[in-house]
Amino acid sequence: MNRRGAVRTLLYIAGGTLVLPACFRQSGAPSIALQKLSVSEAEEQLLAELAETLFPTTDTPGGKELLLHLFVLKMVDDCHGPEDQRAFSDGLSAFIQWSHGKLGHSFTLAAPNEQVALVEAIQTRADDDIAKFYAMFKQRAIQGYLNSQYVMTNLVKYELIPGRYNGYFPVEKD
Amino acid sequence: MANLAIDSIKDRTFDAIVIGSGASGGWAAKEFTEKGLKTLVLERGRDVVHVKDYPTTNLYPYELDHRGEVTYEDKQLNPIANRCYAYKEDTAHFFVKDDEHPYIQEKEFDWIRGYQVGGKTLLWARQTQRWSEYDFEGPARDGFAVDWPIRYDDIAPWYSYVERFVGIAGNRDGVATLPDGEFLPAYPLNAAEDHFREVVSKHYQGRHIISARCAHLSQPQPIHIQQGRVQCQNRTLCQRGCPFGGYFSSNASTIPWAQKTGNLTLRPFSVVHSILYDQESGKATGVRVVDTNTKEEMEFYAQVIFVNASTLNTNLILMNSLSDRFPEGLGNDNGLLGKYVAFHNYTARISAEYHGLSQYKTDGRNPAGGGYIPNFRNVHRQETDFLRGWAAAFGASRPEVRDTGGVGADLKEALQLPRLGDWRVHSHMMAETIPKESNRVWLDTNRRDAWGVPLLHVSIEYADDDWQRRQDYYEQMTEMYEAAGFTNIKTTDDPRRPGNDIHEMGGVRMGHDPKTSLLNKWNQLHGCNNVYVTDGACMTSTATQNPTLTYMALTARAVDHAVAELKKGNL
Repeated sequence: MNRRGAVRTLLYIAGGTLVLPACFRQSGAPSIALQKLSVSEAEEQLLAELAETLFPTTDTPGGKELLLHLFVLKMVDDCHGPEDQRAFSDGLSAFIQWSHGKLGHSFTLAAPNEQVALVEAIQTRADDDIAKFYAMFKQRAIQGYLNSQYVMTNLVKYELIPGRYNGYFPVEKD
Repeated sequence: MANLAIDSIKDRTFDAIVIGSGASGGWAAKEFTEKGLKTLVLERGRDVVHVKDYPTTNLYPYELDHRGEVTYEDKQLNPIANRCYAYKEDTAHFFVKDDEHPYIQEKEFDWIRGYQVGGKTLLWARQTQRWSEYDFEGPARDGFAVDWPIRYDDIAPWYSYVERFVGIAGNRDGVATLPDGEFLPAYPLNAAEDHFREVVSKHYQGRHIISARCAHLSQPQPIHIQQGRVQCQNRTLCQRGCPFGGYFSSNASTIPWAQKTGNLTLRPFSVVHSILYDQESGKATGVRVVDTNTKEEMEFYAQVIFVNASTLNTNLILMNSLSDRFPEGLGNDNGLLGKYVAFHNYTARISAEYHGLSQYKTDGRNPAGGGYIPNFRNVHRQETDFLRGWAAAFGASRPEVRDTGGVGADLKEALQLPRLGDWRVHSHMMAETIPKESNRVWLDTNRRDAWGVPLLHVSIEYADDDWQRRQDYYEQMTEMYEAAGFTNIKTTDDPRRPGNDIHEMGGVRMGHDPKTSLLNKWNQLHGCNNVYVTDGACMTSTATQNPTLTYMALTARAVDHAVAELKKGNL
């Protein structure tokens, strides 16, 4: 996806309420306007890494390019209640601390294989703050991925106008 | 701009006034204007012009800020609207928000409303079934409500008349409880639905699974092309408004048709406060309207008035139309106005799996939604402990199962290559409810809305027999599912409040006798014969069918009567 496409996707994600991201903003603020969540620029970068860990760039775009982390933030900010938002924020803080302890440095700076190993470790955790945060992030990232313009037009195509219905469509044998 | 001509009584006088622009109001507008009457249609909401005012109609999911999801804040502010299945990010602008028009819930009641030109025809589920003789005979045979003053034969030609214009997809199934109509080709059942149909017809006498009949143009005819409508494109994004006019709405069909005659004056932003009554002539003379933009009150006059404001608002307007002759509301000599409101009981679902017919799946989308099970209970004689019966929707689909457990390239691949699951079948109940005097609405004596109209009290609840019908639905459906080899059968109570079925009916019921009903067999108020009520408020009983088609047919029939009576000088 080219930059223009990425910017358009971002606009679709966030409507008219955002400030375009820049790589070296150094403002400390997140790149989209959030009403309820309080997220720093560093946390946003970490979430971008997490999105990229879940959806790495292969021959198709990854989580960062598809701005899945911003989609997650937008959805948690607008579509979840205060309880979920608190759980998300608490879980994010806990994740930052815990991952730093495990890695000796920030998750953002970790090598991809370290990031994957860490995320796989979360998936086996009990139902604590980190697990709740991760589950919310992953569920929304998956939604954002499947509903992204790139995926809907290139990989799992969405038809706005099917113009047909067949109730006896043969299933292809594997 | 002040203008003497605009203020003149002459310019505010029409041949006919229609209150409301939804399914029945749109039909009244079409019929009156086609017959040459200068007609004023009053709509309390804004105008919604076909295609132009469907802002979300061509959006891809990724073009919606929240991919169709309603925000948390919206859910907090509008719990009533949010309980409607069709209320989503892409449709919310066609629903009344909870604080827009408050009402007083004596018992929990979800009043789902669409205040705009077209009303709820933009939002409806488009299911259209005729009533049968058994339905019209029901109250008299079973001794509830009052006898319907009409029978199937009275309305059958009007069903045909309406169906041809609307466009109804369906099969001629030959089922006595659900008479055939003027159909476009049906949307066929899919493999698993067909399997259920075959099993049920083999095992049971008088039980049928048919293609759901719906107001979609499966094969448009010249009459539909003339309306500017074309073939349904199977988008199933109907509640956004359809740019193809693929399904019937007032906006796509009756309203523009009426406009083309040159006889229609459409006035949005016009809340009807009351109907004006003249004691000397014994007739209604017009309506008092509040302009919602200016809050200005004004009057419009006509020889005949059709009240099509939607069931509860029609009750409200009549109750608020006070005169020396009718101190308890227009036409309310017997005190029954606002009483015997009924609805449909939608509180049950049943789902299951089917492992057969795995060689088939579905492709594209079915606007009809699947199958329909006409009522088969108590048809020819009373056979259960409860009166009347239930109909049901039935559908099958094969979900695409995505493994979301992985991380990284595995996750991407798993999402892109879903596994085709087994068939899932699902059904929901649509049961008749028995009208009761205690299920009623009335006006508050003090509190008024933003337009100075009294607030409506709503006191409507389920009764014990509603749960008996539900139990029967669970038992019969489970047995039929088992016969079809369905597994993992799950019954689910759906905690819907009355009103959430969006089939509230009655309060101004039809009947033979002015002592026990409000309307006669032509939908005229017994006590004021130039006022007709042909929306859901007129319904004497509910049957099990989706009611909109019947409202439209009753409306066309009533306009035909009204115009003939006008010519004879009887109104």
